Amino acid sequence: MTANPQPPTPAGGRWKPSFQLIQAGTVLLLLLVLCAVSASQTETFLTWQNLVYNLLTNAAYLGIMACGMTFVMVAGGFDLSVGSTTTVCSVVTVLALQALTGQPVWVSIVVAVLVTAAAGTLLGALNGATISYIGVNPFVATLSTMLVFRGIALILTHGGQTESVPLAMKNTFSQLYWGKVPLFGSEAYQVTVPILVFAGVFLICLYVLRFTRFGHYVYAVGGNENASWLAGINTSLVKAATYAICGLTCAVAAVIYTGMSNTAQAASYRGLELVVIASVIVGGTPLGGGSGGLLFTLVGLLLLSVIENLLPQFGVQEEYRNIVRGLIILVVVAVDVLARGGGRKARRT
Amino acid sequence: MSDAEMKPGDTILRMEGIEKDFGAVRALDHVDFDLCAGEIHALVGENGAGKSTLMNVLAGRFADYRGRLAVFGRQVRLTNPRQALGLGIGVIYQELSVLGNLTVAENIMLGHEPAGRLPGTLDRRALAAQAQAVLTELEFDLRPDARVAGLSHARQCLVEIAHAIRKDVRLLVFDEPTASLGGDDVGRLFEVIRRLKARGIGIIYISHRLAELPQIADRVTVLRDGKVVGTRRIADCKVSALSQMMLGRKLTDMFPPKRNTPGEVILKVRGLTRPGAFHDISFDLREGEILGIAGLVGSGRTEIARAVFGADRAAGRCEFLGRPLPRRSPKRCMARGIGMIQEDRKRDGTITDSSVGLNIGISVLDRLSGAVGLLRPRRIRNNARRMIDRMGIRPTDPARLIQTLSGGNQQKVVLGRWLCRDPKVLILDEPTQGIDIGTKAQIYRLIMDLAAAGKGIILISSEFFEIVNLADRILMVRDGRIVREMPGPGTDVDALFAACIGEGDE
Repeated sequence: MTANPQPPTPAGGRWKPSFQLIQAGTVLLLLLVLCAVSASQTETFLTWQNLVYNLLTNAAYLGIMACGMTFVMVAGGFDLSVGSTTTVCSVVTVLALQALTGQPVWVSIVVAVLVTAAAGTLLGALNGATISYIGVNPFVATLSTMLVFRGIALILTHGGQTESVPLAMKNTFSQLYWGKVPLFGSEAYQVTVPILVFAGVFLICLYVLRFTRFGHYVYAVGGNENASWLAGINTSLVKAATYAICGLTCAVAAVIYTGMSNTAQAASYRGLELVVIASVIVGGTPLGGGSGGLLFTLVGLLLLSVIENLLPQFGVQEEYRNIVRGLIILVVVAVDVLARGGGRKARRT
Repeated sequence: MSDAEMKPGDTILRMEGIEKDFGAVRALDHVDFDLCAGEIHALVGENGAGKSTLMNVLAGRFADYRGRLAVFGRQVRLTNPRQALGLGIGVIYQELSVLGNLTVAENIMLGHEPAGRLPGTLDRRALAAQAQAVLTELEFDLRPDARVAGLSHARQCLVEIAHAIRKDVRLLVFDEPTASLGGDDVGRLFEVIRRLKARGIGIIYISHRLAELPQIADRVTVLRDGKVVGTRRIADCKVSALSQMMLGRKLTDMFPPKRNTPGEVILKVRGLTRPGAFHDISFDLREGEILGIAGLVGSGRTEIARAVFGADRAAGRCEFLGRPLPRRSPKRCMARGIGMIQEDRKRDGTITDSSVGLNIGISVLDRLSGAVGLLRPRRIRNNARRMIDRMGIRPTDPARLIQTLSGGNQQKVVLGRWLCRDPKVLILDEPTQGIDIGTKAQIYRLIMDLAAAGKGIILISSEFFEIVNLADRILMVRDGRIVREMPGPGTDVDALFAACIGEGDE
C-alpha cells in the first residue's frame, strides 16, 4: 500500500513509513486475519456468492460515497448530510423516470441519471458554499442541511409516499443494481454492476486526488489552509469543490441503489453518513485532514464491510451488533492515536 | 506583467498614509514607506511596533486597511495574497507558513506547480527538478523529498525562504528571517539576499537585531507603536541611535535600578529531558532572583519552561522548596505556588468573550465562589478592581470583554490573574510580546518589584536587552541544551547574541 500523495521516493535516503501507512497496515492486517479466521471457521464466507454478490456489492454503494467523503475529509472538512443527499437523489431519479414515461427506455434512463447527478452536485455545492464562502462550521452546516435535504425528500414524495419506477422501465433500470457481467467468460464467476461502477468511480477519484493539481491542493488546504491561501491558492473554491464532488458521488450511489428496489422513499439511507465517515476514518484519513487518501479509505471500507458480513455468520444477535461496530471504530482510531504518541503528550505543545 | 523594465534606483513601492485597526487597537497610524529597485530597506521596531502588520498589508492579507499603495508605478489595492503574488511580491513570513504534510519540493513549488501533459494534472518529475534547481541556486542543503513536518524550525525557515524566491519575483519581504537561524545559515542567507539585490530586486528586511543591519541594509525605517519615527541611510546613523529611536527613550529610563537580592534556592531542576526538544537541563532558581533564559526561536526555551510547569511531560526531577514535585501538571504546580505566563497570549492566555473580571479571577475561583460552587459576582468584581488598580489596567471597568483591550492591557490582565494566587515562582514566557513601550516599562517595573518581594522569576525573551537588563543570571540555550551560564548585569547584548548563535565556542 503506497497510498501517499507522493511520487515514489528515489532510492537513496532511508524510507520511513508515515503514521497513516502504519495505521493502514494495521487495518489491512486486521482485515486479512479476519478473513483468514472466518474462511477457516465458516463454510459460507469464502464463496464467490458471499464475497462478490453479497459483501462487495453491499460495500460498493457505500464505497462510492466514501470516495467523495475522502475528498472532503482530506481537505479538513466533514459532511453529515450524505445520507439525506442520497435520499433526495434517489427520489429525483424516480421522479425523473416517471416524468419521462413514453420516451425510449434508454433515453429516459440516461436523462434521469444526468438530472440526478446535477441534483447531487448542486446539493453538495450548496454545502460547500455555506462552509467555505460564508464560513459556517462544517459540522453545523451539514447537520442543518441533513435535516433540510431530508425535508426536501419528504416534500418531493408528497409526505413520504413510496415512489416507484414506471413499469415499462423497471426491468432495464433494475439492471443497475442486479445486473451481472461474466468474468473470464465464465457464468460461475460474474461481477455485479455496482462493483464495476464503484471501481470506475474509485479509479477516477484516485486519479483526480493523486495526479491533478486540484488533488494536490486538496492536501495542501487540509494541511494548512492559511499557508495555502498565502501561497495564492483559491482555498475557498477548493474546499467548496470537495463538497460538490461528495454530492456527485452521492448521486451515483443513489442511482445504483434505487435500482435494487425500483422505489424511492424519503425515509431511506438514514444513518448512512456515519458508516461512510467511519470508513474514511478507520482507513486512516485524520479528522483534521491533510493526509490519508482513497486507498486508505478502501481498506477501511473493506474492514467494516467484512465485519458487517461476518456478524450474522458468527451468530451475533442483532441487538449486539451496534456495540461491536462502534467498538471496532473506537479501537482502530484509539490504536492510531496511541501509535502516534498521543497518550504520551496528549497536552498541546 | 510586462511594465517597462525597472532600473536600479527607480521607486518600485510607495505606501502612503497606511492605517489599520485591530478592534480597538490602532496597529498602523498613517505610515509612509517606500522602496527602490535593487535596494535593501530595513524596517525595525520593537515587537508590536507594526512591522509585520505593514508587510501583511503589502502581502494582501487584509481587506480593510486605509491608505494608498503604488507598486511598480501603479496604484493598487491589495486584498488577496493572489493579487500580491501576481504582481511579483514575495513574502517570507515570520510565523512559518509551510505545509508540514507536504515535502520540501511540494512546498517550494506550492501555488505554481508545473502542469503535466494531461489537462489539470501536475508533472511531479518537473516539480522535483525545478525545486531542486531553486535549492541548488540558493545553496540550501535540503532534501527535496523530505517531509517538512520532520524538519527542524531553522530548516523549515529555509523552505519558507525558498518558496518565496521565484523567477518572477521583483519585490521581496523578509520578516525576521534570522530569528531562528544559527551563524552559518545567517551568513548564507545574507549571501542570497545580496545576490537578489544585484538582480535588481527590491528587498524589505525586517529585524529587531540592530547589530546585523550595517552588514546588509542600505536604508532603515524605524517604527514605534504603529508610527514611523524616521528613515535614515544606514551609513549615517549609529546602532545606539537606532535603538533610542525604537524605544523612544533611553534604555536606562526603562529599567529601574535593581533592588533584589537572591537568597536561598527554592526551585531545583535536574536532568530534565524530552527527546527531540531538550536534553539534560539542570538549574537552580533562588528566592528573589530573576533567571533569564536566552536562545533563538526554536532552541527549546519555551519547551523547557512548559516542562517545568508540567504543561508538557518530560523525564527528570524538580524540587520545590525542598520537596520533590512528582508528576507535575499545571494544576499541581499552581497548588504548590508556581505560575506561568504563556508565550501565545491568544491561545494559552486570555479567555476570549469573557469579562476582564472573570479573566483575572479564573485562577482563584474557589475563593470567589460560595459553599456549593455558586459564583459570587461581587467578590469577583472586587478582586478584579484590586488587580486593575495594582496593574494600572485601562479601561478600568471589570465588565469589559477582554478582547476589547489593547495587547498591553490584556497582558496585564493575564499577569494579574497569576498575582491573585501570589505564587512563589513565576515563569514568564515573552511577557512583553506585542505590547507598546509604555506598558513594557510598567511590566519591567513589576517584574523588579516581584523579585524584590522575594519571588523567584524565570524570564524568557527574544529581546536580549530585556534579559540583560533584568536578569541576575542568564542561561544560554541552544539546540535544546544549556550551553553557557552568564551573569546578568554587565553582559553585553552582542556577546549574548553571539553566544546564542554559537559563535566563538566551537
